[in-house]
Amino acid sequence: MLVGKVRTRVATVALVACTGFVLAACSSATTSSDAASEAASGGAASTSASTAAADASSEDCAVSADPVTLNYWTWFPAEATLKKSIAEYEGANPGITIELREFEAADWQKQLPLALNGGQDLDVVGVQVSAMTNSAKSGLLPVDQWPGLPAGWQDQINPTMLQQTQDIAEDNVLYSIPLGTIGSAVVYTNQDILTKAGVTAFPSTAAEWLDAVTKVKALGGDILPVAFNGDSWFQNEMFFSVADQIDPFLSDKLYTGELAWDSPEMVQALTAYQDLYNTGVLDTATLSMKNDTPRTEYNSGNAAFLIDGSWSSSVLSADYRTANNIAIGDASAGAFPVAIEGGQPAARTYAEGGLAIPTNSTHQCEASKFIQYMAMGDGVDTWAGDLVLAPSLVGYTVPSTVLTTPAAQEGYQVVQGLLGAPGSGRGSVVTTFTPEVLDVQLLDLARGKIDPAALATELQAQWDSGRYPVQ
Amino acid sequence: MKPSGAGPSGPHLTVAVPSKRSRLLGARTALGFLAPMLALYAIYYVYAFVFLAKTSTQDVDLSFSDPEQVGGRNFVLVLTDPIFWRAMFNTLLFAGFGILIALTLGFFLAVALSSGIRLRRWFYVIFLMPSLVPLALFATLFSQMLQTDGGAINGFLSALGLGAFQQDWLGNEYSAYAAIFMLLVFLVGIPIMYYTSALSTVSASVLEAAMLDGAKTLQMYRLILFPILRATHKSVILWVLLGSFRAFEIVYFTTAGEPAGRTDITGTYIYGYMFPSIGGGQIGYASAAAVVTLVAAIGVAAINLRFHRSDR
Repeated sequence: MLVGKVRTRVATVALVACTGFVLAACSSATTSSDAASEAASGGAASTSASTAAADASSEDCAVSADPVTLNYWTWFPAEATLKKSIAEYEGANPGITIELREFEAADWQKQLPLALNGGQDLDVVGVQVSAMTNSAKSGLLPVDQWPGLPAGWQDQINPTMLQQTQDIAEDNVLYSIPLGTIGSAVVYTNQDILTKAGVTAFPSTAAEWLDAVTKVKALGGDILPVAFNGDSWFQNEMFFSVADQIDPFLSDKLYTGELAWDSPEMVQALTAYQDLYNTGVLDTATLSMKNDTPRTEYNSGNAAFLIDGSWSSSVLSADYRTANNIAIGDASAGAFPVAIEGGQPAARTYAEGGLAIPTNSTHQCEASKFIQYMAMGDGVDTWAGDLVLAPSLVGYTVPSTVLTTPAAQEGYQVVQGLLGAPGSGRGSVVTTFTPEVLDVQLLDLARGKIDPAALATELQAQWDSGRYPVQ
Repeated sequence: MKPSGAGPSGPHLTVAVPSKRSRLLGARTALGFLAPMLALYAIYYVYAFVFLAKTSTQDVDLSFSDPEQVGGRNFVLVLTDPIFWRAMFNTLLFAGFGILIALTLGFFLAVALSSGIRLRRWFYVIFLMPSLVPLALFATLFSQMLQTDGGAINGFLSALGLGAFQQDWLGNEYSAYAAIFMLLVFLVGIPIMYYTSALSTVSASVLEAAMLDGAKTLQMYRLILFPILRATHKSVILWVLLGSFRAFEIVYFTTAGEPAGRTDITGTYIYGYMFPSIGGGQIGYASAAAVVTLVAAIGVAAINLRFHRSDR
């Protein structure tokens, strides 16, 4: 009888445990639901706050005479870069204190919508323009309701970046002011290694790149010819740098349904991307390098090339390298070498680093002034020198003291050219198809586990499955 | 009333049976103590179930704004996704492997350590340590060790002159499975402690009798100790089963489902849709996947119950 009871108990506990497991998996969502309910019930409050703000925006808002602390949460640019700008702003505005909190990029995409819906006390937030605008917009004050924005402020911001920031919102409302633009992928070089290997010019084609890689390998030692992030999301960045060489708008056409995922162009792009691994330009062993590991390898002077986004352009600055103990004497950059016959270099770009004001901010006037300083004021000079973003401020040029060698100057010029060229939007269409299907399958393609044509067919089938709605 | 222990048939014990009134009073008291916790559990379960039931029929993202009713569409999509079924299979596979290791290696090591081996306290520490370190930290460290270039495992193989055995650990389906299995092996410390505790209650005379009867070591393991510890096996199976449902950290921080989702378990699958690397997620779809997993888990529990009943 006792045994029977134990068995029953074991089964009951197993049942409860299994249930608990599933419920635990959804606990975050439970919290979110709660937040959603609050957001729903707080909708009226948000609207009234917006209305009040709209009233305030018709005249210059009055900054509080009392000390004010602005809570600023973001993920980008780096904390060290932002702290310089914040310190200058606090110095010029003694009554203002800015409490900065930085998050890791992927975490921030989850944290911000939950924080806004949960009524977190925030005044300024960073928004990943393409990835986060729609998931966060219900808690953000539309820019046309910000208090204290001067008339004609739009003229100071790059119109393309401003338009992208507005277009990405489902309701076509501008919710943030972008600090600048970024693009991917870009190839950075360690000039010290390349010079030693006898590589005299930046490779412009896959064949030239292979030649350079062969020369670097001939140096021996532990030098990694090409470092890159092996995370699946970055394979996506690399792949579209190849695919858009066929047509700079190929990525946009695929995501908007203008072009099929199993089209001949897509098969050609997949084949060219796989060939980079097959020929040995890229090494599948590098795919196991995640997060910051490849950047660390490059910054330690252990890699000849680094494939990364334009956000890593800081490495072109000698001062930045010195301040951050980067073991590279001279660096340059260039477009992803052309792997498609007859193709043109390409990189997908989009407005980035949006600054926004939450609807429940109690210091909207002060927040608006600070954002103006960061996007259109003296703050730009402070953070833009780190080259993490090409600023949206019209007429801004990088001070000549930042880039001190011809290689760095030429490299940054190429990066700027890529960022300014017409092309596909980086992440301008958000869907789980990208991380759950395309990105992980690209890893299989790189490892030669799937044929390009078969993958193209599979991608189209998954795209049509209805499992991955465009958000 | 007769005094206990006295009577015509000789001394005997009598047990005082509580009256119906005192039983009722006892039940009420017990209920009074349990009520606060029961209320908390009820709120938690009811809220969670209602939330799951509601969102699983919606198309909604992490902002929870403007949900769209989609009926049973999310369930159809989940049930027709081969990757989901792969994740379900993996969840059960890892649970089965964990149980196998606990009942074999865990049992063997516990008996070996209980035999009075020197430095056994140090061995206990070594075997138990991975179970005490936060799994996320342990799995992250392990993931770095698995790196193809510069990873400790490939480096070690190379140093031993076994370069031919180096692997792209996370790029190959089988080696990725092997990596997770290796991590599950490291978690054998708790089963060892279960068995060690149970072994301390086994009478030495049983083993002495077996030795006198000429039992060999392996026979003592297989025919005496293993059956004696039957109740402990059940506790161990239960513990490992529960642990395997917490394998999220192991998979997420070791392989992250690579290659191409083939090492995903239901937890990482659901998480991937709830918190994708880009965008606001598909909360409705993830909730539907959670409901299906819950039903499957209840099914496994029911089978378990049936198995135990027939065993009785």
